[in-house]
Amino acid sequence: MANSEADKLFKEFKIQSVSEFFRRNAAMLGYTGKLRSLTTLIHEAVTNSLDACEEAGILPYVRVEIEELGTEHYKIIVEDNGPGIPEKFIAHVFGKMLAGTKAHRNIQSRGQQGIGISGAVMFAQITSGKATRIITSTGEEEIIEAWVGIDVDKNEGKIFKKIKHPNPTGWRGTRIEMEVKDVRYIRSKQGVYWYLKLTAIANPHAHIEFIEPDGKLIVFSRSSEELPEPPEEMKPHPKGIITDDIYRMAQRTTRTTVRTFLIGEFSRISDKKIDELVQYITALRLIKEEEEQNVKEQLMKRLVDGEVDKIIASFGKRGKKVLREVRKIMEKPPKKLTWHEAEEIVEAFKYMTFLAPPTHGLRPIGEENIEKGLTGILRPEFVTSVTRPPKVYRGGIPFQVEVGLAFGGELSSGFDLLRYANRVPLLFDAGSCVITSAARNIDWKRYRVDDVDRAPLALLVNVVSVHVPYTSTGKQSVANEEEIYEEIRLAVMDVARRLAKYLGGKHRKLYQVKRRKTLEKYVPEVSRALSILTGLPEGEIKKMLVTIIEKKFESIDEAVEAESDA
Amino acid sequence: MLKREKPKERFSYDPKKVLQQLERFGKKVLEEITRGRNPFIDVPTRGLSNVYFDERDRLIKMGDKTSRRYLFHVAHARKFMQTLLISAYIKRLVSEGKHASLREAYYANKHTIPGSKENTFEDQSESDPIIEDLERMFGVLREEMHITADRRGYIYGDVVIKDGEDEFNASKLGMGGWAVPGTVEHIEFPEINVDYVLVVETAAMADRLIEEKYPKKEKALVVATQGQASRGVRRLIHRLHYEEGLPIIVFTDGDPYGWYIYSTIKQGSINLAYLSEKLATPEAKFVGMTMDDIKKYGLENVTEKLKGIPPNKKGGPTGDYKRIIEEMNYPWFQNKEWQRQLKLALEWGVRIEQQALANKSLEFVAKEYLPEKIGNEELLP
Repeated sequence: MANSEADKLFKEFKIQSVSEFFRRNAAMLGYTGKLRSLTTLIHEAVTNSLDACEEAGILPYVRVEIEELGTEHYKIIVEDNGPGIPEKFIAHVFGKMLAGTKAHRNIQSRGQQGIGISGAVMFAQITSGKATRIITSTGEEEIIEAWVGIDVDKNEGKIFKKIKHPNPTGWRGTRIEMEVKDVRYIRSKQGVYWYLKLTAIANPHAHIEFIEPDGKLIVFSRSSEELPEPPEEMKPHPKGIITDDIYRMAQRTTRTTVRTFLIGEFSRISDKKIDELVQYITALRLIKEEEEQNVKEQLMKRLVDGEVDKIIASFGKRGKKVLREVRKIMEKPPKKLTWHEAEEIVEAFKYMTFLAPPTHGLRPIGEENIEKGLTGILRPEFVTSVTRPPKVYRGGIPFQVEVGLAFGGELSSGFDLLRYANRVPLLFDAGSCVITSAARNIDWKRYRVDDVDRAPLALLVNVVSVHVPYTSTGKQSVANEEEIYEEIRLAVMDVARRLAKYLGGKHRKLYQVKRRKTLEKYVPEVSRALSILTGLPEGEIKKMLVTIIEKKFESIDEAVEAESDA
Repeated sequence: MLKREKPKERFSYDPKKVLQQLERFGKKVLEEITRGRNPFIDVPTRGLSNVYFDERDRLIKMGDKTSRRYLFHVAHARKFMQTLLISAYIKRLVSEGKHASLREAYYANKHTIPGSKENTFEDQSESDPIIEDLERMFGVLREEMHITADRRGYIYGDVVIKDGEDEFNASKLGMGGWAVPGTVEHIEFPEINVDYVLVVETAAMADRLIEEKYPKKEKALVVATQGQASRGVRRLIHRLHYEEGLPIIVFTDGDPYGWYIYSTIKQGSINLAYLSEKLATPEAKFVGMTMDDIKKYGLENVTEKLKGIPPNKKGGPTGDYKRIIEEMNYPWFQNKEWQRQLKLALEWGVRIEQQALANKSLEFVAKEYLPEKIGNEELLP
């Protein structure tokens, strides 16, 4: 009876492919709403282009075109001058989910782990039924033109048609053409225009062109000739690791002992640290065996204080025995590491101290480039930026905050907060983002910005990390981690102070000009009256008065300069 | 009996003095400029803080606090310019022998400053204080600077007045007498056939006295102030006393306003403290109305209630009560007689007008009240 019930129930059971899953859950990839879906499509393509160019050491040239084909029906074209895609990888790159070059690497990247562009191809396919047209060349003899789709059931790329063209001019790059429905183009702060503008600001080395559906061409010119250094892979830091990470890495590693595995594949773990780890695991095991609650608590306290040696010694023979057992773990092959042992390692890491994680894998935009980006695109009157030194959150995940501020000039009134994570503009979910709360919680009045919502002010905040803590799968808002919040706040206050100083000097100068005008204004009147009273010619009196004013402002200017130098 | 005494001051109007002062002022400013310094003007400070009662001269006087006004100071520049503009204007007026009213002075100097949207003067309330500043700076009346004050008040009596080319007797101009002009500096009195001056608050009472031929019979010069005495009238009273030796007797309503008019004629005012020595007449005496008059002449039925809330009532003192208490605190009312009068007013809560005397008869004031009180010298200090 029960069996037949189950049989009935499982008759419908099917193994769902990854593509099938994402087809049903497109929202997880950012495809929610007609406006946001379009932005996400462009984002995936542009991100791919920028990443590819940078990795290949090419200054990016990206051209985006949106053509309106009907109501909520568009053709999207993104073309770059990147390295191109070798023929045999085309189906993989565009057709298979979770198959990127960066998946499973501890590396700072713009894109998602291999879902991005294939997700876009899928979106085009399920809304318009059309395959995505790819034109690409690595710069050699041929240009490949291919129509790519996704076989959802098999999670595989399918090439419907492929044509090879000669490449007499040596063109190199990739052009993607997608036909999509159920999206809408609006020139809003969450739309494609704004997205590209923000992308251009954060990537001053990129030249980005955009043709809007009405044919209008917008050019965001390159303002830096300097390519950002490609990101480096970083080994995970012991503080930021979970049991599953260790367990799975141990299964895959080619190292021969747990000891060499830990030293080789994590950062900040040395031979000495392994000995320490052994002691900590031993102490923890011993403490857990203790039955009396009081004693247990006392021992834990001592452990936190770092008295591992003494704890083990206090258990006498038993202590030495456990120590020997734990030592053996370190010498066995990693594949034999049990889940429980991995758990013990992670727990011990919590009580140990490590050097802060290396930060060479972090790739901030850099102060100079932020300023170039803001100046080039927004044309402000004042610009400044701060890149903070790297810090860690949650005990071991390195991150870095950088902030740029642009004021006045061609900026329109109103506070624009330009949020980025790893240089990617965040356009949605601003309300729940730690960047918003940290930037808003500054008392702008203290920095001579009386009404921040009406000031011609743009504030760029970029959170850089190998693992940005997003609040949701949409990856549009950064979670409120205390350390990140604090870093943003400090950086914003830093640039705000510089703005205050600038505004102070500017006001002072304006005030001086105004003052001088006020004083000069009455000179003719006074000269005439004095001439009547004394009989001295008007012109002579005037000349003397002007001299006095000149002398007065000379000394004031000197004083102001001396002050600002100090 | 009241009699004309020996003069204490001499007719001193001399336009040259004003011109000299203006030139001295201009040169001082110019000197700073030629030395390459920020030119300044020292202006005596206005207001209560720079006013005191001089016990010896019994006058409200201006203290010696001054404030310095620089040309090259954003907060001072405009006023500095205005002061010079008006000074130059006055120099022209005086040297041409012309007179201008305050309003004319304002319009004559108002113009747009070239290269700006600003006027030299936006409003008469800007030019009037500048003229006052000059009075204080030079210790000279604006009338002496040929800027005339409002004309109000008139005189009647057997005196000969010389006003420019014209000479006339102030008792031969009909019942209206001679209206006191804004400027009395140039007025001279070639002939005086009166024993004293009777200053009368209301025109109605002055008219009554003229009709009753009081000036002739009592050999008095009646001066009607028509409310608070104008600068011209005060200056005239001062001159009649000091230059012509005539005793001054003041006749007002028996109320706080009347007593204040008397106080101003006698000691000067806070506003014009810097001019007290030219406008005030501390030797003036007060004939009425007093509280004692009510009892003495049986006027209980024609009094009026004081306005406001008495001091012992909730919310008081206000209105008349408040004014009386203020006056009781004036240094010059610190004597037995005045304190008694003011206290009585508070006690009884009444005031009495000059015209209340008509209750007796129309002639009463001219034939009995004044001759009796003045004859017996029943006067308040």
